[in-house]
Amino acid sequence: MSETFAVRELVPVLPEIVLVLGAMTLLMVGAFRGERAVASINWMAILLLIAAGAIIVLLPAERMESFGGSFVLESYARFLKLLALIGSATAMLMSLDYLEREQQNRFEYPILILLSTAGMLMLISAGDLIALYLGLELMSLSLYVVAAINRDSVRSTEAGLKYFVLGALSSGMLLYGASLIYGFTGSVNFAAIAKASANGGIGLVFGLVFLFAGFCFKVSAVPFHMWTPDVYEGAPTPITAFFAAAPKVAGIAMFMRVAIDAFPNIVPQWQQIVIFVAIASMLLGAFAAIGQRNIKRLMAYSSIGHMGFALVGLAAGTMQGVQGVLVYMAIYVAMTLGTFACILSMRRDGKMVEEISDLAGLARTNPAMAFFLAMLLFSLAGIPPLAGFFAKFYVFLAAIQAGLFTLAVIGVLASVVGAYYYLMIIKIMYFDEAARPFEPMPYQLKAVLAVSGLFNVLFFVYPRPLVEAASAAAKSLF
Amino acid sequence: MSELLLDYLPLVIFIAVAMAIGAALLVVPFLVAYKQPDPEKLSAYECGFNAFDDARMKFDVRFYLVAILFIIFDLEVSFLFPWAVAFGELGLFGFWSMMVFLGVLTVGFIYEWRKGALEWD
Amino acid sequence: MYQAIVFLPLVGAILAGLIALAGARARFPSGLPESHDLGAGHHPAHATPHGDGGHHDGDHAAEPAAAGSRAAELITTSCLFVAMILSWIGFVSVGFGQDVYLTVLNWFTVGDLKVDWALRVDTLTAVMLVVVTSISAFVHLYSIGYMAEEPYRPRFFCYLSLFTFAMLVLVTSDNLVQLFFGWEGVGLMSYLLIGYWYRKPEANAAAIKAFIVNRVGDFGFALGIFAVFMMTGAVDFGTIFAQAPALVGKTIHFLAWDVDALTLICILLFIGAMGKSAQFFLHTWLPDAMEGPTPVSALIHAATMVTAGVFMVARLSPLFELAPTAQTVVVFFGATTAFFAATVGLVQNDIKRIVAYSTCSQLGYMFVAMGVGAYSIGIFHLFTHAFFKALLFLGSGSVIMAMHHQQDIQKMGGLKNKIPFTYAMMVIGTLALTGFPLTAGYFSKDAIIEAAFASKNPMAAYAFIMTVAAAALTSFYSWRLIFVTFHGRPHDRHHYDRAHESPPVILLPLAFLAAGAILAGYPFRELFVGHGVEAFFRESFKFAASNRILEELHHVPYAVAMLPTFMMALGFLVSWYFYIRNPALPVELARQHDGLYKFLLNKWYIDELYEIVFVRPTLWLGRLLWKQGDGRFIDGLGPDGVSARVLDVTRRAMRLQTGYLYHYAFAMLIGVAALITWFLVRTGVG
Repeated sequence: MSETFAVRELVPVLPEIVLVLGAMTLLMVGAFRGERAVASINWMAILLLIAAGAIIVLLPAERMESFGGSFVLESYARFLKLLALIGSATAMLMSLDYLEREQQNRFEYPILILLSTAGMLMLISAGDLIALYLGLELMSLSLYVVAAINRDSVRSTEAGLKYFVLGALSSGMLLYGASLIYGFTGSVNFAAIAKASANGGIGLVFGLVFLFAGFCFKVSAVPFHMWTPDVYEGAPTPITAFFAAAPKVAGIAMFMRVAIDAFPNIVPQWQQIVIFVAIASMLLGAFAAIGQRNIKRLMAYSSIGHMGFALVGLAAGTMQGVQGVLVYMAIYVAMTLGTFACILSMRRDGKMVEEISDLAGLARTNPAMAFFLAMLLFSLAGIPPLAGFFAKFYVFLAAIQAGLFTLAVIGVLASVVGAYYYLMIIKIMYFDEAARPFEPMPYQLKAVLAVSGLFNVLFFVYPRPLVEAASAAAKSLF
Repeated sequence: MSELLLDYLPLVIFIAVAMAIGAALLVVPFLVAYKQPDPEKLSAYECGFNAFDDARMKFDVRFYLVAILFIIFDLEVSFLFPWAVAFGELGLFGFWSMMVFLGVLTVGFIYEWRKGALEWD
Repeated sequence: MYQAIVFLPLVGAILAGLIALAGARARFPSGLPESHDLGAGHHPAHATPHGDGGHHDGDHAAEPAAAGSRAAELITTSCLFVAMILSWIGFVSVGFGQDVYLTVLNWFTVGDLKVDWALRVDTLTAVMLVVVTSISAFVHLYSIGYMAEEPYRPRFFCYLSLFTFAMLVLVTSDNLVQLFFGWEGVGLMSYLLIGYWYRKPEANAAAIKAFIVNRVGDFGFALGIFAVFMMTGAVDFGTIFAQAPALVGKTIHFLAWDVDALTLICILLFIGAMGKSAQFFLHTWLPDAMEGPTPVSALIHAATMVTAGVFMVARLSPLFELAPTAQTVVVFFGATTAFFAATVGLVQNDIKRIVAYSTCSQLGYMFVAMGVGAYSIGIFHLFTHAFFKALLFLGSGSVIMAMHHQQDIQKMGGLKNKIPFTYAMMVIGTLALTGFPLTAGYFSKDAIIEAAFASKNPMAAYAFIMTVAAAALTSFYSWRLIFVTFHGRPHDRHHYDRAHESPPVILLPLAFLAAGAILAGYPFRELFVGHGVEAFFRESFKFAASNRILEELHHVPYAVAMLPTFMMALGFLVSWYFYIRNPALPVELARQHDGLYKFLLNKWYIDELYEIVFVRPTLWLGRLLWKQGDGRFIDGLGPDGVSARVLDVTRRAMRLQTGYLYHYAFAMLIGVAALITWFLVRTGVG
């Protein structure tokens, strides 16, 4: 152990180290300087996230391992880490104005975001079950706390508590599954598990089920999704935006890594689980969202549905499927953040409003915002030629090429049903009697909305960089 | 199959013995205890709980805070023990690992101190 | 030159259409006075005062004329006159010279089917060209006066010229597809022109009726074209006629039937002709089509479009000659229509409807001629009829104008002093129609009756009786029209006092047509009926070897030859007795024979029959398919049903979200348990 260790092994972990050390430093700054330093801590946190991203880009491009294979950094991890960092940084950026106005400015918030993001990066790079659990818990514990960060709000604390209790339950299941797998294969390392699981066995499958149950909870896939609407609704809106983007990326990342790296020999078994979960998520996401009045709850079901679509790509179990999922997640993050930028600017008389009906006639009161939101919603619904269409296209294509026709057909039907509630919002924005206008949008939100809106609209013009990066990333996983 | 079950025999015996002892400890006081209540016995504990009361009672959240902080440092000690025992074999890597751990813990300790979590009022 | 004849009306129509569009653009977005001034500046005509009472053309007459109306009128009318002159030149050069055949361009080629735009100008076509362009030119001229109060004249003239173009394409076509193009073109323009006053519900209903009834015929026509293509592999006349003799005796296998190919083809094509030419069963649209402006009635529903069916049979004479059964059918329907329409015409009171039924009846005559193989005679009647019937219609229009849009002859009377010129013209038209000796109608109509007598067709006797009877009836109702309208006492003082003679722009075409009604007969007699037929028509018609009808009709007994004239005189006398001598008699007769009178007045109850047999079941079926089939079944199971089920599922899915933590945890555990159970069952363990 000590003999084999070299400082060089810390190189791949550099982004995580930067984030964690930065987080601790900022914690000390906050502890000594108190709330006066909040603004600078917020911006420092964003800078740290950007720095971590820069380090990932600058690190050598080949596959690197540390700590005896517990930590892996390859194109796959890089792609998803960058995505998670973008999600976190954008969510952080979108929080600034909200926290200021709602007087929720606590210096712990950016630090928790940093720690959570560090956990995500750890999770994405995890090469064995223990590293995975470490990353998962670091991410989750921070998330539990940020969900309840508005301690004076009953809904926020309720959201945090629910998330925590159910998260603990899911962690328990995950650990139980991990211990079963360790018991049946004698290893926690993914490569070793893959080697030992060649002859399958029902015990291993049990472990797999429990492990995947834990994963499904993190990506809020049905039937482990129940926390999602309540937490999304209860948590402060920028935190909901954060929940909807980065942790989902990390969750899907670990899901795919474990499925592909650790269990390549029992693909049919885990495929069944993923197919079931994907179908259930797509359908529930589509159907339950229709009845929602609160736009944050609606986005919760929307994200459940989208995770179902993403899992369709995983269900294919092929390199193309993984590539599809990666493209899907990238586009999903862009769409979700843009949509939340709009939701965050639904503010009237100094208060946030969250009902869908509050958007009525937005096309007249704020045509630019209505246009971008409409584009994002069309994209979420998967209308060509917007980005959301290509996202779905890639995963369904992979599913069809893997012979999963039923899954693809159900997916398309679910997206038809799902289109209803996205289009309903557009109808409300464009054809209903205009409600009172919202307060002007802060510039950060404007920027996020513009970037994500343009990305969605113009993706089809030049999709190559993203698709090729995803392709390289998928290749590195196999 | 029987071999597998035999493997679990010690476990079964262990559970049986544990249940027996537990049951005995629960039952015996009713039988043999010397019951002579006096005001001192019936008065509240140091934590403020009454000796005989409904378990679902309200109490000060600060008890929790102290308990949680205690647990953190308690666990730290439980890490330190095995580390200390095996320190000779861990070498420099082991030493620095524990130093990093303690450093992180210290950061947390400073934070809770500055936030006033250690003050009762 | 022939291209110019065909395409000049199209050019006129396009220009008029552009003017109409520009006018509409200028009129509707703004509705500002300046655009009105622009229009009004050119047209003092629109300011002509007109009575309010009885004016039922709609409120639009009060609107100012569209900009450029006069330009549109002049362009289209002059195009038509040029085309008319060229047509007459062509008539002479083709009739006494050579046929002309011009390919304009290839239309399309699909596999074996090759269709060209071509102009086939033989004598038959030349006659039709003359008829179409002449009548159309005069109708254009007439319309300038008749439509002077209309605000949307560019549209009207555009339609009129476009109709003319379609009709010219029809008569010059060299193949069945081009013929069909023209056929549908005139149908469409007929629809648009009948519905020209689109704010009048009756006009719209009539337009739709005309269109739909024609669809029935066109369906037969289209099937006929398909059958021709199936049997000959071609649609151009040259190939078809060349192959026709080889088709004798061949059969078409259809639904376990073996039908004689030529008979089937000819009957199918004749069904098309029946629709367009308003023959019995498919005639119902023609009287209703009188809702359109009177010049339209004159042009489309008397002189040209309705004769397209006759033209088509004549054009396809090489086929019909080989299908005697089909010829019998043609004779039967022609004779029946001639008689039926004449009987209905006896009791109608709407001046235009009387003329319309007369048209219907005369078309029956033409088909009789076609059926018995006397093609040139049928075309002769078509030729003469075009003049006198257009004259009658335009004369009626003049009367209607004089009476301020009053069309009921019972409300007229004594007009001959008020509008003497129109009266004279109407009398000339009536003389020609009834076959007064030496007028145009006399030569052609008598020839048909003689041909019917001379023919060996199984239906010839029937046709002879019917046409002779119809001749008497024609004479009766025609003179009734004249007597009731122009003689006797005025029935409507108010209108009578305000009646006035029409302006010269209306009277001039009447005069020309009257000249035609008198002169179109004798000079052409030899060419159409006599010994000049062979040299004049050459290849236009094909007469079977056994068809010597043109020869034989010259040898009919003198009594037979005189019979139509006698009938004409009889009809005239009875009419005179009824309406001049003893005007109470017809009323008394109608009262005594109430059943018969109602029967005729209601046009043999054909419309009512259709209402019961076709319209109501169709509406019932439509309503069934709409309410039950589409509304309940398709919408119910489809969009509505699915969306309702989606909402049901949504409601249930939302009920799952209780907000209770333990429910959520329970769901997770159930999920895991379900997956575990699934794998246990799948792998057969446990």
